[in-house]
Amino acid sequence: MLKFYLNAEFCKLNGFVNYNTMGFYKLTVNGQLHSVEADPDTPLLWVLRDNLGLTGTKFSCGIAQCGACTVQINGDPVRSCVMPVSSAINSKIVTIEGLSIANSHPVQKAWIEEQVPQCGYCHSGQIMAAAALLEKNANPSDEEIHNGMRGVLCRCGTYPRVMKAIRKASAKISKS
Amino acid sequence: MKTTTNLPRRDFIKLSAISGAFLAVGFVPLGEKESKIVNLSKTATPGNELNPFVFIGTDGKVVLYNHRPEMGQGTFQAIPMIIAEELEVDINDIEIRQSPADEHKYGDQMVVGSRSIRNNFNNMRKMGAAAREMLMQAAAKRFHSDVSECEAKNGYITHVSSGRKISYGVLVRDASELEPSNSPALKDPSQFSVIGKSVPRMDIPLKTNGEAKFGIDHQVEGMLYASVERSPFFAGRVIDYFGEKALQVPGVKYIFKTSRDVWGKKREAVAVLANSYWAAVKGRKALEIMWHNGDLKNWTTEEIWIDYYKASKEEGTTFEEKGDFENIFDKSANKIEAYYETPYQAHAPMEPMNAMVSVTEDKIEFWGSTQNPNGIRSHLAEKFGMHPDKIIINYTFMGGGFGRRSLMDVVDEVADLSAQAGVPVKVIWTREDDIGQGPFRACSLNHLRGSINAEGNAECLDHKIICQDIRNQSGYGKSPSSGITGGVITEYEIPNFRLNGVLRKHHIPITYWRSVYHSTNCFAHESFIDEMAHEAGKDPLDFRLVMLKNHYRYSQVLKLVAEKSDWYKTPDENTGRGVAIVERSGSFVALVAEVKRIEGKIVPYKFTVAIDCGIVINPDTVVAQSEGCVVMGLTAAYKSAITIEEGRVAQTNFDKFKLMELYETPQVNVHIVQSNEAPEGVGEAALPPTAPALTNAIFSLTGKRIRRLPFKLDEV
Repeated sequence: MLKFYLNAEFCKLNGFVNYNTMGFYKLTVNGQLHSVEADPDTPLLWVLRDNLGLTGTKFSCGIAQCGACTVQINGDPVRSCVMPVSSAINSKIVTIEGLSIANSHPVQKAWIEEQVPQCGYCHSGQIMAAAALLEKNANPSDEEIHNGMRGVLCRCGTYPRVMKAIRKASAKISKS
Repeated sequence: MKTTTNLPRRDFIKLSAISGAFLAVGFVPLGEKESKIVNLSKTATPGNELNPFVFIGTDGKVVLYNHRPEMGQGTFQAIPMIIAEELEVDINDIEIRQSPADEHKYGDQMVVGSRSIRNNFNNMRKMGAAAREMLMQAAAKRFHSDVSECEAKNGYITHVSSGRKISYGVLVRDASELEPSNSPALKDPSQFSVIGKSVPRMDIPLKTNGEAKFGIDHQVEGMLYASVERSPFFAGRVIDYFGEKALQVPGVKYIFKTSRDVWGKKREAVAVLANSYWAAVKGRKALEIMWHNGDLKNWTTEEIWIDYYKASKEEGTTFEEKGDFENIFDKSANKIEAYYETPYQAHAPMEPMNAMVSVTEDKIEFWGSTQNPNGIRSHLAEKFGMHPDKIIINYTFMGGGFGRRSLMDVVDEVADLSAQAGVPVKVIWTREDDIGQGPFRACSLNHLRGSINAEGNAECLDHKIICQDIRNQSGYGKSPSSGITGGVITEYEIPNFRLNGVLRKHHIPITYWRSVYHSTNCFAHESFIDEMAHEAGKDPLDFRLVMLKNHYRYSQVLKLVAEKSDWYKTPDENTGRGVAIVERSGSFVALVAEVKRIEGKIVPYKFTVAIDCGIVINPDTVVAQSEGCVVMGLTAAYKSAITIEEGRVAQTNFDKFKLMELYETPQVNVHIVQSNEAPEGVGEAALPPTAPALTNAIFSLTGKRIRRLPFKLDEV
């Protein structure tokens, strides 16, 4: 799929940045197939935001330390800020925009019922991480919730409500 | 419930709407809390921007405008709630729109100091009431009756004796011909049906499906992204730079030297402009910059503390004095003394700093998340010598602010870049930029001395604050402003009391951080009061109550928190409790921290907050803000700090500037005092007492007194 490469060795020797590396990548995002042109090391996050206009997934730390950019890849929560677009091909990517239609996912419903978000910026990531957790374990213990939500930060301090909302969503999912 | 969008709406009059077929009521601001209510329905001309607070169409559709930028504090919902209360419409059946930024039409729109509600409560009530009275007058005419025979409820006016009803929509045409009263009859607070109810926030569904637009989400045609390399030593100057390698990165268009104004000081930098964020970042990594750093590399936090301890010997500026501290303290048999250290802190809002500006010959446009939209307009007007009317401010939801987004530095820099490039430029700070550049919450040293008399009561207290002053960072002034004394409880009845401040100045930039100086001073003050109580052999809560026996509101929250936290019930041997109080932005808070020793480790377990914020608009928001304050207060107490090593910030990202996480979050129980006092601020109030309540609790459990933040929880 690569368009064309400049001799990498030449670049290295001359201290140049190897620039002619743009490639085309086919991504399946929220059930739709997209073809995007990007540098292979471009993080999936920026491809989602800038190439596909899916701005619900957020940038915050860029080093997989905060979880704001969490998307699901084949059902697993993944920090899209450190995943190169070249590694995201041939997989099923789901972003917050594709989690459900009209806030209908049990996690989203619980988030609204518990009035979780304040500024709201981290909550796409919080919700994607929580939904992935409950997908694998519908009835997690407190400790399993804590572990599943490790590294998903909120500066407003909405954690007490995040906990309540995950418990509520879990109760609903395990009942149905 | 109707959903809504958060993008500010600039609603222009359509030709079809010009026959008084709507009711639009707004105001002309007269000072901070005063306004003149005006009927905008008739003055509207086609193509003009309509700037109302209340808009009602002939179909009965009600649109209420929120003019306060939203960063999580909840005013997006609370401001319209106040209007809806007096207008008598169902809050769940209206549309909320974010107003444009216009100080002539909306007054002050800067969201700082928890003042959205306390400064706008009366204006917003008057707004809703005036519009309601216009509708009632129109209805009375139709009923051939007196206004006093009519009643407004849920979007209808009813003629009470006959039971006839007319909807607001039908009355709009007639009402729009009337003049609003500037002293409309307001409801008795006992009749409130919206204010005081936990109404679901309309912005929340937008924030659970990715729909909410933040500053960082905005794009315009032809824009470039900027990533900017700034001096890691804050004040380094650019001698020269080489951009050849950066320019080879595909997508990179320009390299510019630039600068930004931080509190009157010019901070230099080199920017890479590219057609994508990632290209700009890659280009930036390939930049070579020669900096002149002088002796900036010699700065360390330790040196700053040495300087502050030395400065603590100076007398400084006296802000309050009663009795005769020096003499009585000298003679006292039972005296104590302590120093408390609190570090610099970064704001670290989850949405990194960003802004987009387009500067052209005859127009400037801004897009982004800001706490101070009109401040940006004034700043850009001055910077480019352009009339403020030619500057368009498009502000969005903020992904957190905490004070950081009230500054102009980010906009100042990107505006310069847009002027140089001639296209719209959007700058996105990396997290490393955010944590490494500040401006920060000030670090401070507090020196306290106190004595206990023979009866076991507080006799003397001297509180001295040594720190930088946000309002006095440059220039020659030698005295700090009284702003640095926030969070000291001057209401304690201590016969010999003194409050002093010593100003320190250096190049590390500081600014307002959630609750500002309250967050540092209250830790020292309320810890030392605890030390005095211990010295006096008194229960620390009772010790405070005695000194505040004539202060109704403090006493009330102390008694409430005692009740709710089971304060007087002796805890088991593995549990400790601590108390602290504060007044912040008009609200009074008493907070009890409960810590437990679990498997040998100290665990912050439960926090009980009692808050008196006067009349409550949305109780759930008060609870949410208090929960958030406790989490942020705990983060600053034992997780995060900014330190300086070899001239630069030692922390770079969330791997070293640690935030609290879900797994370590304690229970937070919030109790609100029922009150008819004027409403006060709730966005910051519970933060200052969190750290001292925690460390006081740790003292009661372990006997270890913590006087330096942040402390390591696992080393207690």
